[in-house]
Amino acid sequence: MKDTVKKWLEEKQVDMFLGYKMVHGHALPYCFQADRLDEVDDLVVSRERYSLEKMATHIAAVYPEMKIGMLARDCNQRALKVLDIWDQLKKDSVTTFNVNCCPSPLKNHGDCSYLEPSPVGPVKVELGIDNNMSVEHAEHLDQKERFAHWMYEFSKCIKCYGCRNICPVCFCKDCSLEHPELIRSGGALPTEVPLFHLVRAAHMAGRCIDCGLCEDACPMDIPLRLLYRKVGSSVSDLFGYRPGIDEGKSPFNLIGDAPTTEPRPI
Amino acid sequence: MTQKKMTFLQELLGFVGLEDRLHLAWISSAEAQKFQKVVTDFTEKIRTLGPSPLARDYQKAVSL
Amino acid sequence: MEYKLVPSICSYCGCGCGVLFEVMDGQLVGTMPLKSHPVSQGKLCIKGWNLHEHVISEERLQTPLLKTNGALQEASWDASIQTTAERFKKIIAEHGPDSVAVLASAKVTNEENYLIQKFTRAVLGTNNVDHCARL
Repeated sequence: MKDTVKKWLEEKQVDMFLGYKMVHGHALPYCFQADRLDEVDDLVVSRERYSLEKMATHIAAVYPEMKIGMLARDCNQRALKVLDIWDQLKKDSVTTFNVNCCPSPLKNHGDCSYLEPSPVGPVKVELGIDNNMSVEHAEHLDQKERFAHWMYEFSKCIKCYGCRNICPVCFCKDCSLEHPELIRSGGALPTEVPLFHLVRAAHMAGRCIDCGLCEDACPMDIPLRLLYRKVGSSVSDLFGYRPGIDEGKSPFNLIGDAPTTEPRPI
Repeated sequence: MTQKKMTFLQELLGFVGLEDRLHLAWISSAEAQKFQKVVTDFTEKIRTLGPSPLARDYQKAVSL
Repeated sequence: MEYKLVPSICSYCGCGCGVLFEVMDGQLVGTMPLKSHPVSQGKLCIKGWNLHEHVISEERLQTPLLKTNGALQEASWDASIQTTAERFKKIIAEHGPDSVAVLASAKVTNEENYLIQKFTRAVLGTNNVDHCARL
């Protein structure tokens, strides 16, 4: 890995390489450059995941000609694909060094802080939604229970906007979550339940790549990944589109185009 | 496409426990009777479902 | 082109959440949570997420404001310090040192905050000193 990155930097295949470096015992995202080539020896694959592609997007917004290299897990690659489709970070300007991630029949080893189930206490089990629940399981809860439990989860929200800020595929300049006529602005907490979360969930349709960073960043431990997984499975069932995996624009970008599969009766 | 998008929204609302409160129907400007029927039927349906659980204090809903 | 990520601690409250500042060409452009931080474990509140904003904010005050004739008006540092000192002296002379209090800021350095409490205790002679980060 280190030799390849050195070679890329030396041969100007990339102007900079986003990877990780240990600083004071923390694996931090680090920008490696050709004028500091010996630093590449410190390049590590971190267990913690940062959205390197989001950083690359910020850099590309200021330096559009920059050729960026980065370490990429499966989720980073899906995010890069979505960012390319939405014209935020063109794929020609990014070179990825693919690293191990989610275990699968092809890869039996995974390096990711997200592979262990998240701890869930007794109160959450009684009142809320277990973050490790499957979409199928959550769908089959009794309607009253489902409603009450989701509202409990949403009512915990402290409106930190962390789920939006950390999201690798969130890039809109004007965010509807800050629109005073959609979501009331100001200090009242909890935020508008469940409008805030449903607006965001609907907006993530056709974009969400199921990286789980939102849930990871949520200080109130709301099972956002489960909610967006449901969004993803609905989009996949209805439109046959899987963001970050399938080519082409999101079906939510099309207006009045011919449906690709038979619509369901309403 | 609209039909699919609405189905998506219905599924999303259903997932958090807000079923059957969203309806989509195609009615031409010449179909006054159909319009009347759809609106009456949906009003009746909502009436049977009762007031929106969101209108109440959500804390009460939590303690259901 | 220079891009780096600087680990730091959120200055807003006593929790001390870990943050990561995004610095591009010497300019602070963003804040992110520090994932491996033992206190915050990669989570932040809205204040922490927007730590970088006050640094480059156009609304940031450039001069002190003095309330003259009922309205805040821009004033020089000398005039402001002079007025503050005179008012402090007057109030302490009339009502004693415990009639004044000082509220320190999370937006100045640790050393400056130390000086503020020293000033309040040793010069003004009161223990009425607090800090917005003392939760």
